[in-house]
Amino acid sequence: MLSTELREIYTKMADELIPNAEGMPSASEAKVPTEWIDRALEYRPDLQAGFIRALEFGKSKSPRDAIQSLNADDSEAFDCLGVLTSGAYFLNPEVKKLIGYPGQVPSPANDDIDSYSEMLAQVVERGPVFRPTVK
Amino acid sequence: MSNPVSVNTPGPDIADVLVIGAGASGSVAVSELAKAGIKVVCLEQGQWTPPSEFAGDKPEWELVKQKRWHPNPNVRNHPSDYPIDTTESDVNPLMYNAVGGSTILYAAHWFRFMPSDFQVKTMDGVADDWPFTYEDLLPFYEEMDNAMGVSGLSDDPAYPEGGAFPLPPLPIGKPGIKAAEGMDKLGWHWWPGTNSIASKAIGHRPQCQRYGACLTGCPAGAKASTDITHWPTAIENGAHLITGARVRKVTVDKNGLANGADYVDRDGNERHQKAKVVILAANGVGTPRILLLSKSEQHPNGLSNSSDLVGRRLMMHPYAAVVGTYDDNLESWLGPAGELAHSMQFYETDKSRGFVRGAKWNVMPSGGPLGMRSGYGGRPVDESFGVNFHKNLKKVFGRSFEWGIIAEDLPDEDNRVVLDPKLTDSDGIPAPKLIYKSSENTTKLIDFHVDRAVEAHEASGATSISITKLMRDCGWHLLGTTKMGNDPKDSVVNQWGQSHDVPNLFIIDGSVFPTSSGGNPTSTIMANALRSVRHLVENFKTQVTPSEF
Repeated sequence: MLSTELREIYTKMADELIPNAEGMPSASEAKVPTEWIDRALEYRPDLQAGFIRALEFGKSKSPRDAIQSLNADDSEAFDCLGVLTSGAYFLNPEVKKLIGYPGQVPSPANDDIDSYSEMLAQVVERGPVFRPTVK
Repeated sequence: MSNPVSVNTPGPDIADVLVIGAGASGSVAVSELAKAGIKVVCLEQGQWTPPSEFAGDKPEWELVKQKRWHPNPNVRNHPSDYPIDTTESDVNPLMYNAVGGSTILYAAHWFRFMPSDFQVKTMDGVADDWPFTYEDLLPFYEEMDNAMGVSGLSDDPAYPEGGAFPLPPLPIGKPGIKAAEGMDKLGWHWWPGTNSIASKAIGHRPQCQRYGACLTGCPAGAKASTDITHWPTAIENGAHLITGARVRKVTVDKNGLANGADYVDRDGNERHQKAKVVILAANGVGTPRILLLSKSEQHPNGLSNSSDLVGRRLMMHPYAAVVGTYDDNLESWLGPAGELAHSMQFYETDKSRGFVRGAKWNVMPSGGPLGMRSGYGGRPVDESFGVNFHKNLKKVFGRSFEWGIIAEDLPDEDNRVVLDPKLTDSDGIPAPKLIYKSSENTTKLIDFHVDRAVEAHEASGATSISITKLMRDCGWHLLGTTKMGNDPKDSVVNQWGQSHDVPNLFIIDGSVFPTSSGGNPTSTIMANALRSVRHLVENFKTQVTPSEF
């Protein structure tokens, strides 16, 4: 569980990584710092130490400076921050909808042979592409 | 479908046959032996993996796949994994230690070696021929196609005429069509993918649900992993499976014949299983590790190692990825993943290219939004995040696919598995170390193939193309470390997998491959295992066995 102080720092850093732009919500608008990051941390407890280290790094710097220098000085912590923030963002169903991603839902395999059978006939016409066994 | 009860039932005091490893080849062996009424015990260091544990049908899939379901055991670090020193290897070995072995996490590309793969020396003047031909293995290939419920389209002009696959091909989807359009413009070979994934329900397996999560375990149970396809029937037929059993060494009698194995259970107890015959099926890293660990007075250089070839000639298939991005929405998060299509256009040798041998190409979908982003690691922050986070996402997500290139690497005795002098697993058993460098031939091969794959994407209308010439996490195919051949001086086992040095020791996994081919090996591993075990069963009455246990 993040402390109030670290969560405030994280909110600013997360919005620096994922701002409101291109018709997409920022990280905080997508409830990453208040909701989804906690889920993400549950799924990836191995990244927690690096993530906290990244937030501690942001205590005395502006969000932009913190992220830039973190990437240069502690790339492992930066990766933890980046993966968890991106992963938390994509956990939000509204974000999935906005990018046209249905998520991990079943889509039974269909038969699409008719869509390429004419093209495949050309492949057959071009002939074999193997060397037979030397007897 | 649920797995059989995972209780380790007591087996016979002395097994007719002990199989070490419950993966692709071990599953075939156990199935055949149990069916023949032979008392078989299998030691597997991993556990069962119920499909309900897989995350491919859950929102957190892309987050957890980078750790819990990572194919690199050094990253995954499960209790059933052993560490591997890769500090002197260009490529990381990938595997999964469980009932079903690496078929749990493989992509299920069901590639059949081509005739030239068995005659590399005869046709191209390099490496070695196999002791048998494509035609010798063909009936076993066809039998395994049926056992694994393979989906594909027959009459591929990359192969001699053969029978139909048991199931029709899976959809090639929009990425497959886009790839095919480019290949047709160039007049190059392509064919819909052949996968051991059910395009329609077969046996206990349901139809593929296109989660695109094949490489992290199929949550639908549609992918053919041997925990599903082989083990339930094998156990019904009387096979004894002991999970959580990490083998310390194969033991021998006073004459140097194998007579069982020492192993450690998950409670830390040292145990021993006696056996008349021992089969190793622990993959191209695990098998030489066990042989090298099994030094004895009778076998001071390691078991079955009079040729000094145990661990040598490691081949791991360097893999290049050429990803094209398109204006169209290709829905490229959809499976199978799995190959959507493949090309064998540049598989065969053309010496005018400056190298020998070739590579299979496969069209792979690009997955979900987080996995797509993993390609940005190490770049400046503003390239991957900020406004560009959204711009890149809109440009690439769902609109890209990969031409993957599986490069044939030729055997080199300096590429090898050895025992690490310091590193051990959680039971204190010395861990393997890999020494592996990609060759000049492979570098030239990859350069040529990457250039052609760029041309293929351009012909398909890609708006941008990115290239990874050597993926470090690509060592799925662990081959060659106990070479098969006719001469005991330059091979470890004969054409039936029987050790030249120890006639009641057999090796049936990819370790025995004299050459690697330029494609996915599981189909050939299982067909070869079937051929070897059938021979053992047919000759079991006259099989040499130890005089003491």
